[in-house]
Amino acid sequence: MVAWKIKTMAETGDPDELRSKCKAVTALLPYAVWRERDGEPAILGTFLGAAWASGMMYFTWHRIDRFAGTLLSEASPRAIVLVSPHIPWYLLTDRKDLVQHWAAATSLVPCTEEVARSVIDTLLQVASRRKLLPYITADLWAWLTKRPSLPPVCAGRYYGTYFHVVKAVRKLEDVEVLKSYLLIAWSEWDAIWNEGFNQMCASLRWDFGGTGMDRHWVDLIQRLDHILGELDRGLEYLQQRNHNLREYDFQLMEYQYRRLREMLLEVDTERVIRRSPSIVTPLLLKSEGSRATFMCALPLLCL
Amino acid sequence: MLQAALLLLGCALSRYLWEVDTTVGTVIVGATTSGVLFYLFIVTAGAVSESCPYQTPGSQALRYLRPKARRILRSTSSVVASAFREAFEKSKAVKTVAMNVQWYYPWWSGGEIKPFLKDMLLEIPRALVIDAYHLGRMMIRPLAALPVGLYRLGSAILAPLVSLGHRAHSKWNGASPVAGQGSDEQMTVLDLRCISWMIQTSSDKAVHLSALKHLATVMPLADFDPVLVADCFDVFVSCIMGGVKNHGVVIIQGLEELAMVSALCFFNTVSHLLVTNPTSSVLVDVRQRYLKVFPPQDGLHYHRAYHTMNAAGCLLIQRWERQSFRWGDYKPSPHEHVIVAHNLVKLARSEYQRTQQVKVPRLILRFALHSLSLNPPPPTSVIADCLSIIAIDLGCDTPNAGRMTPDEKYVYI
Repeated sequence: MVAWKIKTMAETGDPDELRSKCKAVTALLPYAVWRERDGEPAILGTFLGAAWASGMMYFTWHRIDRFAGTLLSEASPRAIVLVSPHIPWYLLTDRKDLVQHWAAATSLVPCTEEVARSVIDTLLQVASRRKLLPYITADLWAWLTKRPSLPPVCAGRYYGTYFHVVKAVRKLEDVEVLKSYLLIAWSEWDAIWNEGFNQMCASLRWDFGGTGMDRHWVDLIQRLDHILGELDRGLEYLQQRNHNLREYDFQLMEYQYRRLREMLLEVDTERVIRRSPSIVTPLLLKSEGSRATFMCALPLLCL
Repeated sequence: MLQAALLLLGCALSRYLWEVDTTVGTVIVGATTSGVLFYLFIVTAGAVSESCPYQTPGSQALRYLRPKARRILRSTSSVVASAFREAFEKSKAVKTVAMNVQWYYPWWSGGEIKPFLKDMLLEIPRALVIDAYHLGRMMIRPLAALPVGLYRLGSAILAPLVSLGHRAHSKWNGASPVAGQGSDEQMTVLDLRCISWMIQTSSDKAVHLSALKHLATVMPLADFDPVLVADCFDVFVSCIMGGVKNHGVVIIQGLEELAMVSALCFFNTVSHLLVTNPTSSVLVDVRQRYLKVFPPQDGLHYHRAYHTMNAAGCLLIQRWERQSFRWGDYKPSPHEHVIVAHNLVKLARSEYQRTQQVKVPRLILRFALHSLSLNPPPPTSVIADCLSIIAIDLGCDTPNAGRMTPDEKYVYI
């Protein structure tokens, strides 16, 4: 009956009702986890459905932090992975054991879209806590290459653009992971933190400016084009799916993503200048700004 | 019946002796009058305070009817007063006088006084008739509501009498369709009275312990004397060494078990009284005493018994929202856990209804979260109760706690 009620609340799509009852739904979470371990995943599914439907960054009651240890040590790997995004990691900055439990669980679960989404959300939340960041291994970062689609309201993506997170991903020196990280972190739903933005600009210039980066460059520019296309639809359109979006964030996003695109084009132009004109990609020529830069630079190249 | 018979005997004796000898009759009349006055005094005292040691059926009935009668009187008087106020504000007569005074100003001068009085004589009776009509209309509604209120008051008086009649009838016939349930309730009531009497009269801790142990097993506290709450509190206080000292509560050596049982019984009785009669004067009294003995203080290192007492205190003082109690440190025995969970479900339901079906207090939801997170899991009955708390907060139709077994409840939820 309780599960049915929560399911109905999630399906009717009234986020306010769900938000007002988040404490009661959270109180059900430990029970749902035990039942999932006993082979009855329905209640856990109901909880997760409600959490995503609520449109809240942190749906669970913060009181769950006291029981996070019990939950993550006793639950099944699948439950650990699926529940982790809803645990308030910002209150658990000294619990490296929980990160290790979670990391162990991720290696045991078969990868699906839902699992990948949960892992990435948790990964970025954990990475945003400086004290927990050192416990994220390269294997965990490799999950970024799965590139699942994250929901409009996502704590991992929101906090995952901190300066130290971008820096940590760059330090891996794996272009595939870095590109995947950028493709996930860039979104029409969230602005980028200021210092993280500067770090991303630097990354575009230094990490994607070399030779053999054409494929990555195309992926990145396509992502930015998609985001800018969505932003062109207007704030009201985006607010239909994310009520938390504000005018200031929207304007900041427009500025940031346009700037990133310009940066990417500049990088490409510089790359082209260093090479012969014959390898200019047709995609580059489509872009007005780049074409102008290219035409100016052409006489120099001929010389 | 006994008291009425005694009164009749006194009256008859007074009348008889008055005819035989006036002096002797005067003495008997005086004695009877004193008895009646004393009886009225103890009825009033018993009705005013539940802690009064002389409780009569009359005082219990008065206490039962007092809020109902007060509510009816208050609503009727407020409606009548507002009707009069409205009638005066919209009064045609007042308006007529004011208008004429303004029109013929200065009306006392020679030329104006005559037409002024003429107009007044012509218009005032008509205005008064209109006012009377409006006032009558405004009074009809409260007067129509009065019989309903009186009917409710009457049914409140009659219901206990009818049930008394049923009981007498079943006793007379030796059996009834609800004989088992009735006799169980009666036994429970008698048990509770005995426990209260034993705690109050005995100073032997062993007697207290056995009485309270029995009380802890009585789950449905059907109709208990609220003074039992104060009794349990007194027993607990007698087990601790001088209240809160140096940020802690110290239990006297050898009285740990009594302290734990009394704390549990206090929790049980307090939560039941909060559900059945939240405005009880006993609760007010115990609340004051609790705050005096255990002032709100952070950083207490708790004895296990004090944990239960502290939980009861949070309910008593209604500290729902504050960080008043850490369920995480609460490690009850399975029996205690069952009792606490059972009482919290009742309290959750009552608080949910009191807040117009908005929410269950956080303290109770935190209990559910804590209990469901325990490893190993608590007894099935506790899990069922925790799920009931969640269901109540979500606005589900929850089963009545007393009607289902834990397993049935568990399956239902």
